[in-house]
Amino acid sequence: MGNNRSTGKFVFEPTPAGPVGSILYNQHLKYTPKSRFADFAGYLMPLWFTSISDEHDAVRNKAGLFDCTHMGVLEVQGPDAAGFINTVTTNNVTKITPGRAQYSYILDAAGNVLDDIIVYQRAEQKYMVVVNAANEPKIKAYLDALLSGKAPLNTGSPDKKLAFCPIIRDMRDTSTGDNCRLDIAIQGPASLDILCDLFEDEPSQQLKELKNFRLFEADLAGVNCIISRTGYTGAGIGYELFVHPENVEQLWEKLIEAGKPHGLALCGLGARDSLRIEAGLPLYGHELDGPFGISPFEAGYGWAVKLDKGFFIGKEPMQKCSADSKMQVARVALPGERGIRPVRANDVVVADGKCIGWILSSAKISEKQIAIAYITKENSEPDIAIGVYYLARNARQISEGKKESARLNESLQADINGNVLSRFEKF
Amino acid sequence: MVVDGLLYTKEHEWVKVEGGIATIGISDHAQEQLGEITFVELPAVGQEFAKQGELAIAESSKAASDIYSPISGKVTEINTELEAAPEKVNEDCYNSGWFCKMQITDPSSTKDLMDAKQYEEYLKGI
Repeated sequence: MGNNRSTGKFVFEPTPAGPVGSILYNQHLKYTPKSRFADFAGYLMPLWFTSISDEHDAVRNKAGLFDCTHMGVLEVQGPDAAGFINTVTTNNVTKITPGRAQYSYILDAAGNVLDDIIVYQRAEQKYMVVVNAANEPKIKAYLDALLSGKAPLNTGSPDKKLAFCPIIRDMRDTSTGDNCRLDIAIQGPASLDILCDLFEDEPSQQLKELKNFRLFEADLAGVNCIISRTGYTGAGIGYELFVHPENVEQLWEKLIEAGKPHGLALCGLGARDSLRIEAGLPLYGHELDGPFGISPFEAGYGWAVKLDKGFFIGKEPMQKCSADSKMQVARVALPGERGIRPVRANDVVVADGKCIGWILSSAKISEKQIAIAYITKENSEPDIAIGVYYLARNARQISEGKKESARLNESLQADINGNVLSRFEKF
Repeated sequence: MVVDGLLYTKEHEWVKVEGGIATIGISDHAQEQLGEITFVELPAVGQEFAKQGELAIAESSKAASDIYSPISGKVTEINTELEAAPEKVNEDCYNSGWFCKMQITDPSSTKDLMDAKQYEEYLKGI
């Protein structure tokens, strides 16, 4: 771990550790064999239970249940909480009130995106911040470095000191006692009815009236939950439930049981990825930061970077990149029938015989492939015709003349043809 | 699922040797790991491969996986049905999901392959 005071770049070296099962690991083994698990951010998580496409369809038409207990959950509280969050994140946290949530970014002083997050305000001076599982150790180290003055706030004036000293706790750490919380998610049109069935008395009016990015606390099947109408699937109706680790398994089983008549499907990482790709939602390391160093503006989330608020870490570099960017993240549609080679990250996007960018993520959705690509702004409007050139898949293909990489504007012939879609899609 | 009478590699290819001809495919474990296979790139008839050569590629939405030649040989026949119906590899990997047949050019190249029992033990250890 370290950081560079003059460039403002925060560098974090994670301690390598073997993957561990999530708290629901034994539950998952009841429904899917061990061979379908993969290491994700140090957690052994199921890739799928029945099939990626069945689970994807369940979320679009009925409901799906997701183990998100590996996601990082931090609490920021005290009189300095709002001031601290507003300095460390790009969105304006003073615009939300208790019971509301906000999408935001954590940047380093150089303007690199360290993570995309959701800030949930639970009460006055009490916030919960959910970070990506893969970034959790880095974010904890970064916040520590900021609080101890080891990471700079601003490259221009490196001696600028943090004026806030909030209380930060890891809410997944069981030593936080009753306050400990883990994330599970239920997403899709039937998820409201399923949750209503789990209220012991009258189905909660508060739940029925809960709008997007709002939250409240209630007992669900006798388990205290923070219920938030948020998610990562693009589903119009979907919830995250934050529950105590002791109650996670119990609630998980209750949700499966209550969900049966509603067609609830257990969902693995595969469907989680195809759903977020179809909706156009970014994944850190792919559509944000990553090998291309993609900024929130390029990703289509300039609205979550409030350049008109006071100081925040990374503000100066953000002002520059909001104006400079010539590239844009775009969703594209490509043919995807069986027998068509799937596109992969780094495959080359082509327009008029020239490289205009690269594929970042892709998913097969029924007979199509939906991909998210990083392409030149002038080609990123919906309906523009684009194609994809497949990069070499192995040494033999290289020897046969397939390229391993391509530069912008390089002449290339597309292998398959498709078109740009709207940046996002809601369901 | 492991089928008796076939030979297996550590990379989860299977081989059925009849006379001097080897029929080659991927094991149930391999197709399960790959997930829904949407594309298979097969070698050309007549192409020669050394043992461990890059014989074919199986692609699912999540990964492109090399299929290595389990033996040294020359391709005599390919399963062209996989071009339009790669899902046969998921549905029936030991029969209609075969990849290709090869004339074995070096009989000693089959020596280190595992039989069904050995492969089953190997799977338990991973």
